[in-house]
Amino acid sequence: METQLFHIFRNTPLGRETLLQSMYFCKKVMASPVVYIPRFTKFLMYFENDVVQIDLDESYLAAPDTAEEHASALLLENNIEPKFIKPKNFTASTLPDIPTNFDFMCCPRSISDLSSKIGLGYIGPRVRRIVKSALFPVLITSPVYKPWKSIAVFFGGSSNAVNALKLGFRISRISKMPLEVFTQADKNPEFYKNAIKEKNLESDMENYVSQWHIFEHGTLEDNLYEVPHDALVILGAFGHGILKDIMFGSTMEKIQSVISNNLLIAGPRYTVNI
Amino acid sequence: MRSFKILNYPSRWNIFRIDDRLLLIFIGFIVGSCSGLAAVALSRSLTAILNWLHPYRHIWWAFLLPAAGAALSSLFMNKIVKEGAGHGVPEVIYSVSRYGGLLRLRSSYSRLISSCLTIGSGGSAGPEAPIVMSGAAIGSNIAKFFSLNDRQRVTLVGCGAAGAISSIFNAPIAGMVFTIEVILGEWTALNIVPIAIASVAGTEISRFLQGNNIAFKPQQFNIGAMDIIACVGLALVTAAASVLLTRALRGMHKISARVPVSLWLRAAIGGGIVGGIGIFMPVVLGEGYHFIQEMIDGTFSQGLIIAAIATLAKIFATSFTLGWGGSGGIFAPGLVIGSLAGITYHRFLVWLWPSAAWVNEGCFALLGMAGLIGGMLQAPLTGIFLIVEITGGYQAILPLIIVSAMSSTMCHYIEPASFYFKELVDKGQLLRPRTDARILSDLKVQELLERDCISVHQNMLLRDFIDIVKISHRNFFPVEDEDTGEFIGMIHLDDIRAYLFNPVMYDAVILEQIMNTRQQTVHLDDDLSVILRTMDEKRLFSMPVVSSNRFIGMISKATLLDQYRKELRVQTFQ
Repeated sequence: METQLFHIFRNTPLGRETLLQSMYFCKKVMASPVVYIPRFTKFLMYFENDVVQIDLDESYLAAPDTAEEHASALLLENNIEPKFIKPKNFTASTLPDIPTNFDFMCCPRSISDLSSKIGLGYIGPRVRRIVKSALFPVLITSPVYKPWKSIAVFFGGSSNAVNALKLGFRISRISKMPLEVFTQADKNPEFYKNAIKEKNLESDMENYVSQWHIFEHGTLEDNLYEVPHDALVILGAFGHGILKDIMFGSTMEKIQSVISNNLLIAGPRYTVNI
Repeated sequence: MRSFKILNYPSRWNIFRIDDRLLLIFIGFIVGSCSGLAAVALSRSLTAILNWLHPYRHIWWAFLLPAAGAALSSLFMNKIVKEGAGHGVPEVIYSVSRYGGLLRLRSSYSRLISSCLTIGSGGSAGPEAPIVMSGAAIGSNIAKFFSLNDRQRVTLVGCGAAGAISSIFNAPIAGMVFTIEVILGEWTALNIVPIAIASVAGTEISRFLQGNNIAFKPQQFNIGAMDIIACVGLALVTAAASVLLTRALRGMHKISARVPVSLWLRAAIGGGIVGGIGIFMPVVLGEGYHFIQEMIDGTFSQGLIIAAIATLAKIFATSFTLGWGGSGGIFAPGLVIGSLAGITYHRFLVWLWPSAAWVNEGCFALLGMAGLIGGMLQAPLTGIFLIVEITGGYQAILPLIIVSAMSSTMCHYIEPASFYFKELVDKGQLLRPRTDARILSDLKVQELLERDCISVHQNMLLRDFIDIVKISHRNFFPVEDEDTGEFIGMIHLDDIRAYLFNPVMYDAVILEQIMNTRQQTVHLDDDLSVILRTMDEKRLFSMPVVSSNRFIGMISKATLLDQYRKELRVQTFQ
């Protein structure tokens, strides 16, 4: 079956960078982008047990007459056949329903500081809900086109982190790019090695991982300097409670607010075959 | 943490493992109580706003109040909660039809606030549809919290709607009947029991917090044979009023969409016009329950002509409120219009035959309400039970049945889909349970793909192709471009039988010469109902599925109907 990435196109220079990023990702993982040019600032995604309303900012409706032409030109330039998604169903007159049966989704970040809208300076509640409900991982791109040359997976031993690691193996296998694993060791390093052993991932670690960095000292923010600037960073999302979000923040948001790499976030419902 | 996770999956609790009906009854009770509370909150808020604004109603600029309310309501919907416009019931039906009743959490309060602003300020709308939306969203989100499946979630959406309607009208049977007749569209034991429990819970919450009051004081009516015969004429009048209201609402929506101003300003214009009409006809303002009581009591003092004009004025006021962007439902305005139509008709009869012994005009107000609700919603049982319960008028049950049933039948001939269904029917999105379209909508092309076809390329010799035919058990062979791998046509053994039995052709013919290049293809996101229709029209038994110009499998009528049967069995399992 054809692997597809869902991309919401913004007809601005920033949107162009994001589409370039999506196209690069698609080429590396052998997927094809399916582009949605919004006609409204809102749309709905019905997941298996949740319905998420996406609120875009007004920039997504910029120059609607040239949007398809600009997106097509970029795609054709990269030898990708333009494929647009046009919503068939509407929950209300201004709420198109977008299918959720994709393999990846691109959620661009922008300089916007409105936490309720998609395309955020940080991973806001909306993107978090997509990550939580989706059966696909979410790609959060760097602000400008930045081809990645390697893969960096953050592994903290949890089941979501194992998911992210498996996704890293898969992308490394398809893209033939080197994979490095990064662990901020809050516990004894043996704990992480045992976690790998328990999940029978030892042989995959040997096959795919070029280096496993285990940071026993320093904060996560400091150690993020070690992550190659041109790596695709893969990490698992955590199901946070409201209190934990407010009090402690999240590793996912810490990482994305510190580094400018492209991020691929695997949610708890995403299952991956290596 | 672990115990919290178990809470999310009540179907794993020992007590509910025996029978999941118990689970639905238990959670239905919770949902009914919550939606009942929401209905009481809305009712109390509306009363508070109406009382607060009452002293200002007589000031000359009071006609601006509905404009301000509608504008605020529109701003709230579009800027704060960012929800689509509308009264919400079609959204609930649509979500039940297509997405197993999934509704957003914000819908559980958004319509409550927006309709409060619209109705409280004097807009002509009712609180019932918003409370249905709210109750349904509460049910959906409680089902989501407990990780219930689609089927259970749909039932709980129904429980929410039933609890809300029951609570707001203090009418448990009407809530139950409305939900089953309009929202869910199927009468099954699995639905009815939890919905009945939710209705009772919603009603009890309302009675506990607001007292056991019937919405309108009951009256004694001596209904004679003449009155029952006259009901036929009343059914005609209410059917005409229902059709007029339906078309006025839709027409006004189209007209307002052409006005090039922002949504809140559009709503303000509609509200301002309603306020203007209200200066001359106060009956058009707000939900209008006070005037219904006057009409039932027989103390509505205006004459025949004024009553007729008031009927039309209320229809237009409702269209200006809802069609121009205000929030609210059509239930309460429908009741006012129905009772106005009822007394207008009664007064006309009295004018024509003054010496006949007609029943009190309050009875015709009741009948008019049933006729209008029955006609507008094309839900005769809802019309009958609602009026019986909110007026305590059991003695009028016979003419109520006649008017409601006849009005809804006549409306069905003029407008094949009710007000709630019309938009969904036009878009082909009304998929009622156990219908062909609903079953097909639950299947996906991916599930039906047959991938055991062997692809060939266009430059292959017939001789080589015959070797492939020998090892394949299919009659179809997709032809792909040798260089690009793109799908370019199909070979069907039936079409090339003559070549196969002629050895002279084996080295003379290449597949490009004999393949069918005009083969109709299917895409992964195509609707199965459309695919099945194409197969029927073109007499095809299978079609190739193509994605990004590449062949990915076949879809056959046999597999489709086989899956259809399995899905039908799942959906009709009790």
